[in-house]
Amino acid sequence: MLKIRNLHAAIDGREILKGLDLTVKAGEVHALMGPNGSGKSTLSYVLAGRQGYEVTQGSVLFNDQNLLEMKPEERAVAGIFLAFQYPVEIPGVSNMNFLKSSLNAVRTARGESTFDAMQMLKLLRSKAKQLGMTEDMMKRAVNVGFSGGEKKRNEVLQMAVLEPALCILDETDSGLDIDALKIVADGVNALRSPSRAMLVITHYQRLLNYIQPDHVHVLVQGKIQRSGGPRLALELEAKGYADFIPDAA
Amino acid sequence: MTLASLIERSQKNSEAWKYTSLAALAKVPYQSNIEGYGMLRASAKPLGKEQPHYLVFINGVWQKDQSQFADLPSGFIEGDTVHGYRLKLAGQTCLVTAPVELIFINAPEKQALEVTTKIHIELGCSGRLTLMERHESQSEHPVAHMVETTIELASQAKLVHGKIAGPFAAAHLATTEVSVAEGAYYDNFTLLCGGKLVRNEVNVTLSNELAQCVLNGVMLAQGDDHIDTTTCMKHAAPNCSSREVYKSVITDKARAVFKGKILVEKAAQKSDGHQLCRALLLSDQAEMDAKPELEIYADDVKCSHGCSVGDLDADALFYLRARGLSEAQARALLVRGFIDEIVDEIRVDDWRQYCRQRIEEWLNDCV
Ligand SMILES: Nc1ncnc2c1ncn2[C@@H]1O[C@H](COP(=O)(O)OP(=O)(O)OP(=O)(O)O)[C@@H](O)[C@H]1O
Ligand SMILES: [Mg+2]
Repeated sequence: MLKIRNLHAAIDGREILKGLDLTVKAGEVHALMGPNGSGKSTLSYVLAGRQGYEVTQGSVLFNDQNLLEMKPEERAVAGIFLAFQYPVEIPGVSNMNFLKSSLNAVRTARGESTFDAMQMLKLLRSKAKQLGMTEDMMKRAVNVGFSGGEKKRNEVLQMAVLEPALCILDETDSGLDIDALKIVADGVNALRSPSRAMLVITHYQRLLNYIQPDHVHVLVQGKIQRSGGPRLALELEAKGYADFIPDAA
Repeated sequence: MTLASLIERSQKNSEAWKYTSLAALAKVPYQSNIEGYGMLRASAKPLGKEQPHYLVFINGVWQKDQSQFADLPSGFIEGDTVHGYRLKLAGQTCLVTAPVELIFINAPEKQALEVTTKIHIELGCSGRLTLMERHESQSEHPVAHMVETTIELASQAKLVHGKIAGPFAAAHLATTEVSVAEGAYYDNFTLLCGGKLVRNEVNVTLSNELAQCVLNGVMLAQGDDHIDTTTCMKHAAPNCSSREVYKSVITDKARAVFKGKILVEKAAQKSDGHQLCRALLLSDQAEMDAKPELEIYADDVKCSHGCSVGDLDADALFYLRARGLSEAQARALLVRGFIDEIVDEIRVDDWRQYCRQRIEEWLNDCV
């Protein structure tokens, strides 16, 4: 589904990703771990198409399409979803209205019929309930005045509504209380399917107890230094990243 | 007032007209003949399907036969173009529950036309009235429309006053002078949808204790529009409150102006006056001139003003696009959200819907 080869990306001329390789197949869950500032969010933004991230080398194929040539909205309707590490507040735009526009853009691209307000309300009610979100939160402006944890739930809600092919979760577990972590993990697990892939960025093994990854990767200084099975996450939890930091000397 | 005398006055009072010049109007030979041929061709329809009361004015002349006012209190409207029109709810607790719509049409004319409309609105003690004022131009030739409105609200009276104006090929120059007596309430929402030269001046005097005023407005400017909102909120008595929120969306080479003053006189202790002006610039050449002013002579007051001018939030744009919205859709959604915060506050349903519709049309054309 996703093939990243020798990816180099820079922000303001400073190279952050330095030759990253990663292959994600349909049905797989990949965990991406690594110290602060190692480039995890940078990778997620490069995949989502954010401006200001300059790809200087390498390639990214998504279902054999050249992802790097696509606009952010083209990537989204093609099935890429990024749950933001820091979801953005949008005053004056209701969550409901936003999700309706978004879902209809995606459905139109898939050749499906669009949803009207009633259908949308029905869908949102059931999805929101599963994530412990109130109807009032659907009427409020997108993320405005939401607590940290509520914003993360809202990301997962959007993902559940849009049913993307590739879910990229950037620290969706940070800021969640213990119960919320379970609820959100259940929401993510409900989306696991043989046709869908996930890239889960996290600092904590705890999340991976709920969302069992097939592969774990360690990103340090813009490169994947090691990949392995679920046990790698346990090892990291015990020993930290020291072994993976390339010797400066 | 004639156009020539208004131009002269604007040139003498350069501070009040700092950002808006009427000089260009002097170059066009505006005629003030009133009963032109266009009268016959102009048409006006009320907004609501079941709008019970509406008054139609064509080129400043009240059209009795096109208006519907039979159910209004007798003597509600009187006057003529020369002396101006008076809308009056006399006596105590006289109230009209359904909104009264004022429709002003600039009819198609064969030459450049200047029109002056004078309206005086008077509400007696505890009177209640909702007025919705709509200005439209059906003329391809330039029309300079001067609208002079005076409003007097007796104690405990309440006037909700909406205005939608534009777009105008030439000029719309309006002045509204309001005096609000004890415990009375004046609520104004104005949507200005563009025009070559638009000036909307609102001067309010809170003349007795516990008077209240809300002024909200939206300015939409595109092409080479020039839209100026100038307000003065005078707190002349203690314990009065005022709120003002004006939002502008400016694109292309257009320019919007907000000049707003809160003046608190010495006697007006415990005044509570707040003003906010926000503008979105959607192009590099768009321009906003904002000049908020506080002039305070009392020492125990709560007054503030805020002003922000900026472009669309890049993070919000990316967030929406990352959810599948096209760039145009995302921009329109953000602009709509920016404006909606005050359109939501309009309580007359037909009116709010109509404002939304007009804003939507503008967004489709310009964003
Ligand atoms: N807009 C920016 N301008 C300049 N530098 C940036 C910008 N965004 C990120 N960086 C830098 O890029 C590097 C990688 O940042 P990134 O956000 O990808 O790290 P991360 O692995 O997600 O870290 P964390 O675990 O703290 O979320 C950091 O050194 C950061 O300071
Ligand atoms: Mg990060």
